[in-house]
Amino acid sequence: MKTYLGVDVGSVTTKMALLDDQDQLIACTYLRTQGKPISIIQQGLEDIRKQMPPQAEICGVATTGSARYLAGVVLGADSIKNEITSHAVAAMHYVPEVQTVVEIGGQDSKIILIRDGVVVDFGMNTVCAAGTGSFLEHQASRLNMDIEEFGSQALKSKAPVRIAGRCTVFAESDMVHKQQIGHRTEDIVYGLCQALVRNYLNNVALGKEILPPVVFQGGVAFNQGIIKALEEALEVKVIVPPHHELMGAIGAALLLREEIRTDSHKTNFKGFEVSQTDFTVSSFVCKACPNLCEIAQISVDGKVLARWGGRCDLWEGAATG
Amino acid sequence: MRIGIPHCGNAYVIAEALVQKLGNGKNELIIPPPTSHRTLDLGVKYSPVEACLPFKLTLGNLIEACELGADTLIHARGTGVCRLGYYVKEQEQIIRDLGYDAHFFTLDVSQNRVKSIMRLIKELTNDAPWSKIISAFSFAMGKLFALDEMEKVIHKVRAVELEKGRANQVYRQAVKAISEAQTIREVRNTAKEYVKKLGQIPKDPKADPVKVGIVGEVFVVLDPFANMDIEMELGKLGVEVERTMSLSRWVKYRLFLNYLGIDEWEQVHKAALPYLRRSVGGDGWESVGEKVVYARDGYDGVIHLAPFTCMPEIVAQNIMPSTEEDIPVLTILYDEQMAKPGMITRLEAFVDLLKFRRKRRRK
Repeated sequence: MKTYLGVDVGSVTTKMALLDDQDQLIACTYLRTQGKPISIIQQGLEDIRKQMPPQAEICGVATTGSARYLAGVVLGADSIKNEITSHAVAAMHYVPEVQTVVEIGGQDSKIILIRDGVVVDFGMNTVCAAGTGSFLEHQASRLNMDIEEFGSQALKSKAPVRIAGRCTVFAESDMVHKQQIGHRTEDIVYGLCQALVRNYLNNVALGKEILPPVVFQGGVAFNQGIIKALEEALEVKVIVPPHHELMGAIGAALLLREEIRTDSHKTNFKGFEVSQTDFTVSSFVCKACPNLCEIAQISVDGKVLARWGGRCDLWEGAATG
Repeated sequence: MRIGIPHCGNAYVIAEALVQKLGNGKNELIIPPPTSHRTLDLGVKYSPVEACLPFKLTLGNLIEACELGADTLIHARGTGVCRLGYYVKEQEQIIRDLGYDAHFFTLDVSQNRVKSIMRLIKELTNDAPWSKIISAFSFAMGKLFALDEMEKVIHKVRAVELEKGRANQVYRQAVKAISEAQTIREVRNTAKEYVKKLGQIPKDPKADPVKVGIVGEVFVVLDPFANMDIEMELGKLGVEVERTMSLSRWVKYRLFLNYLGIDEWEQVHKAALPYLRRSVGGDGWESVGEKVVYARDGYDGVIHLAPFTCMPEIVAQNIMPSTEEDIPVLTILYDEQMAKPGMITRLEAFVDLLKFRRKRRRK
């Protein structure tokens, strides 16, 4: 059986999805990146290997997410795609008539507008992480609560409190204040959900025409409180697709399938040995010009696989040599 | 006099050429090191936090020039109601406060300032004869035109070259050769030679590049450090870049043709009229008009560059998506907080969007 692996290495979590040649999900994994992308990729690959049916063979690998280039080098990817396109493609696969994709991940959030099956506009948060999963997680830990129970707590709220969600720092002091004057935890939690949604709509989605069907994906779509707050704010029913947390990885694999269909292709995938390979990462400062770029490199047994981080392409060419 | 200048793309080449031809032993040109992260750090450290990126970068350049002993600093003053209008005064004050006793020359490029420019030239050249000044100027302009011609060519070649990076190598050699050329004839021949070399780079016969126009605030559009080498990055993604603004065009019109009543933006302003009837300062009006023109000319998309907090461009940003001439626009705002990977992700997604759109249209 031919299968295709999509790998989405984000800042907070790493997702892998294995599709068969009917685009059905047959194996997946969802791990925390924990700032160690390479060892998490290796661990994820092990997870996939254990779930794979014996006759399955990996015919292509696609990477996406903020560490897509690193993941591409480590695994030997056939296709490296940005996460915006990947998410759009996956959303259209599960909900063909989708017009708006809301994606909220660990460190970034996006909106993608789709009309007649084509992406027509997108937005992505720029400098502030106040509308993302990290923000929620941080506030949950302040409330001494697991992020997993955050959503169900929020749903219990009858009188949500208004929390200033524009900035993480202010949200925190506002939340502490609301606790001190005696508001119930569930009301604060749901207030936070509303603040996050408000922040998302006022920043990332500012000026974008949100038309139904609205598909909500990314890790934060696990949170029932956010779904409810989003539905209230948009006044439409929000669709959370199955495997919403894997959509980036699934989208990357779908895009790869499309590419392979048109080309006779042999995969670059390095095989499951990757899990046992000892990758070394290091960095140095390039002194070729006053810019002093920090160049990062990844190597195996002293052989450099790739370098990046320079303003010019001085070191990029050197990587292949 | 030890004259220091700020950077903006290849602008230093003109200064270099002028001094080479007009140098009289008394004046020395101090070109600060190419804009680097150190320049940015210096600029950020000594600027008001709300100042824009062009302010911070040029201030950093001027400080680095002072460190090398510059005692006379030249800076261009912009036109219109953009804050750059009073930036020179502010930078002058900051440099003084840092303890440098530098004299500032303001190159005022707003309308009808030709007299002040002439006076500046006379003063900087210790009253050199006009014949000498004119010949030096045409030499410098020759270099600038040659460099800009090179850029036009490389924007096309990068998108379709078989082996990514070849065009950049040739381009780097070309810039070096042009800045080393000693006569106007040599400049022209060098340019011709390198245009040919760029043309000989093997191209991918299957390449079908999407075409994108770059518009926006003049400094971030023209300075590759400020815009994080966006044109090079688009080239890597196989995109053909077009940009109306260039230093040579700017000098040609602002210093010469404008005085003859020739307005380089007339057509662009006309195109903007249904959406914006007047200048909003800086280059905002031009951004709106250029978007319309690129759409009419069949481009696939427009990338709009602006410094964070740039009022004229924010006005333009909000008008652009709603014009009747409908092509996608991606606005990128630059400040010292911005990280390049974020820009790359957006560019990749935007290019995908343009490709899908084109495929759909051709069906």
